[in-house]
Amino acid sequence: MLNITRRQFLTYVGAAGGSSALLKANLALGLMHDDPYAGPVTVKPASSTNKPSALILGAGIAGLATAIELERAGYQVTILEASHRAGGRNLTVRHGDKIDEMGQPQICQFDKAENLYFNCGPARIPGHHRRLLHYCRALGVPLQIKANSCKLAYFHDDKAFGGKPVRQIDYHADVRGLMAELLWKSADAHQYDQLLSEDDVAKLMKFARLHGDLTEAGKYVGTERAGSTTDRMLEFPKPHAPIELKAMLDSSFWYGGLLGAELYDWCEPLMEPTGGMDGVVKGFVRHLKAKPVLHAQVKKIYNQENGVEVTYEQNGQFHTIQADYCFNNIPAYFMAGIENNFSSVYQAGLDSIKRGHLFKIAYQMKERFWEKEGIYGGISYTSDPVAQLWYPSHDIHAPKGILLGAYTWDPKVSAAFEAMTPAERLLAGAKSGEKIHPGYSKYIENGISIPWARMNHQMGCGMRMSPEDWDKYFHVLQKPEGRHFMIGDQISHHSGWQEGALASSEQALNQLNKLLSVNIDHGVNSHVS
Amino acid sequence: MLVKSFLVLLTLAAMSQLAVAEETPTPEGLEYCTVCHGSQLKGNANIGAPRLSGLPQWYIERQLLNFKQGIRGAHSDDDRGMEMRPMVSGLSVDELKAIAAWVAKTESDKPKATLTADSSAGKALYQSCAACHGAQGEGNKAIGAPSLTGLNDWYLVTQLNHFRLNVRGAQSADTYGQQMKAASVMVTSEQDAANLAAYITQLN
Ligand SMILES: Cc1cc2nc3c(=O)[nH]c(=O)nc-3n(C[C@H](O)[C@H](O)[C@H](O)COP(=O)(O)OP(=O)(O)OC[C@H]3O[C@@H](n4cnc5c(N)ncnc54)[C@H](O)[C@@H]3O)c2cc1C
Repeated sequence: MLNITRRQFLTYVGAAGGSSALLKANLALGLMHDDPYAGPVTVKPASSTNKPSALILGAGIAGLATAIELERAGYQVTILEASHRAGGRNLTVRHGDKIDEMGQPQICQFDKAENLYFNCGPARIPGHHRRLLHYCRALGVPLQIKANSCKLAYFHDDKAFGGKPVRQIDYHADVRGLMAELLWKSADAHQYDQLLSEDDVAKLMKFARLHGDLTEAGKYVGTERAGSTTDRMLEFPKPHAPIELKAMLDSSFWYGGLLGAELYDWCEPLMEPTGGMDGVVKGFVRHLKAKPVLHAQVKKIYNQENGVEVTYEQNGQFHTIQADYCFNNIPAYFMAGIENNFSSVYQAGLDSIKRGHLFKIAYQMKERFWEKEGIYGGISYTSDPVAQLWYPSHDIHAPKGILLGAYTWDPKVSAAFEAMTPAERLLAGAKSGEKIHPGYSKYIENGISIPWARMNHQMGCGMRMSPEDWDKYFHVLQKPEGRHFMIGDQISHHSGWQEGALASSEQALNQLNKLLSVNIDHGVNSHVS
Repeated sequence: MLVKSFLVLLTLAAMSQLAVAEETPTPEGLEYCTVCHGSQLKGNANIGAPRLSGLPQWYIERQLLNFKQGIRGAHSDDDRGMEMRPMVSGLSVDELKAIAAWVAKTESDKPKATLTADSSAGKALYQSCAACHGAQGEGNKAIGAPSLTGLNDWYLVTQLNHFRLNVRGAQSADTYGQQMKAASVMVTSEQDAANLAAYITQLN
């Protein structure tokens, strides 16, 4: 191509053709997003005389969405779900609900109240998860804003700032100030004179001053942007003394602390279904003709000439059923334990998907003490094993609240929690909480924990493939083998998000349409090109 | 509710042939075992859960008891054992016996070889194993040595390494484990363990 950067090219186009030319060029180069989402796939409608049948294995989000689209197209659908409930990792617990942990099942002890619930798996939805938001709209699932960050919540690290929790607003303001000061200084020391004109260097220094709230002389001496150490309604504001640059660099807050609200999937504002994330599952089930068959654990899957035969066990009884198509939502690493006649490359692909480890704790707090500290929703981050504390942004000022007391992603840390008894986990979590909110433990009335890698019929979350396996197998698993399609967030680039599960379902249904147009209906317009 | 389940039955009946399967049914409450160990306990390498079908009942019972008492699954280098232990720690001895009886009834195809190792070197090592486990790996109940055929090769490797590295068979309460540890001193490396496992798998 031409020896210029994409940016330079755009500048030229913008100058020549005005902004609409710029927009078009942007789209062509893939810098801006043309919105490709036009709702779910329309599956080629079944003829009214010959309704094809489809088996859905697993009532996770991907299975439920696939079922609903197939029903819309007139398919006869059966959903087999091994667990006592539909939803898979989309699980919300309230008073009396069971967390079916392998070997140590727990019953939720929260008071019986509508606002006391815990989203054990998914808890947040960003505005660009179009597929999920489509279903929330279509299924009548009410949403509310969920504060995913709160500037008045804390960072805590035993090894930084004397182990004292620091308010995020203080930290953010100081980081900006200190970084802006460095920028100002290097501009002042003529570091950019080669790169920029004198005018532009002046603009850069002005930007640095504004960005960091620096003095005329380019110094950061604290800022009112982070409040005041005095009552700023009645007295002159007095900013807190800024963090030392060295102390800031030594602190471990880079990821959670600085980027907590910056990543694309966490970009504000986020949303949550009112009353609990399982509102999505209930919405699907409400609209499905075929309710999931529960306690139905799939044991065998056989591709046949013109369909799929599946055997499941329910209450000690085996049942074998056949269907024209099968959509499999079961975590792929279980498939080696389920009899099948898959090709060796397909099975190897399934085996390449590895278990992930995520862990959460929730406490019922007898008072919403954090609100008295000015924290309404959002997250405190800590270098302690619990990693995160999430404050509910719903039911503000209610008498009690459910506080998320741990959310860990580090597989080693999660494994350590997995190895504990539920009581030990609550105790460990309370110890960490004390460091951020002294007196934390005395508010705890009860609690519950969920180690996803120990959950019945789940044994993991956040499926992972190595980059080599990815290249080798992902495209294999995206295609059907015979009449068998794999679905689930495991068959997406976005494992660990419901949007990934829905994208996998959409992808599989597109494949079905392709199959239908090739195999069955050459004459009729197909729904995919 | 009644109407709903009736509808479900109708749908199922419409699309299915309800076949009578000859598999051993899973007793109530033991579905958990099949989640990891697979259909008919055929084993699942992805979870690190070995094939159990084909193992003698007395051996299963002893190992379940070992897990219950923390003789197995207590060592921090035994990740999979640690995952297994909470599954049985709350069960009574009678319950463990009943589980062993069911496990012994399950049937599944013998596992395929997954290792590429030197089975002839393994054969030479196996000569000292044969005294207890039998020339064909058939086992010997009288001296507490289980059959070895039908075990996953990857599982054999893990266990041989565990004996070698004091992860298994190091506790004084583990009488048979200690015997096995002493009897397997000739396995001195990961390569030995792999070679031996490759040979044992050939005995299938
Ligand atoms: C801690 C945590 C936090 C998360 N946070 C978010 C978030 O904020 N936002 C978001 O959008 N997503 C989040 N996710 C991810 C989200 O939960 C998943 O992407 C989504 O729920 C996965 O759906 P799925 O259909 O792929 O599969 P699953 O939910 O895994 O469904 C698989 C189903 O198969 C069933 N099954 C297993 N074995 C068998 C068998 N033998 N026979 C029959 N059925 C079987 C299981 O019981 C289960 O119902 C989070 C997940 C976790 C665990």
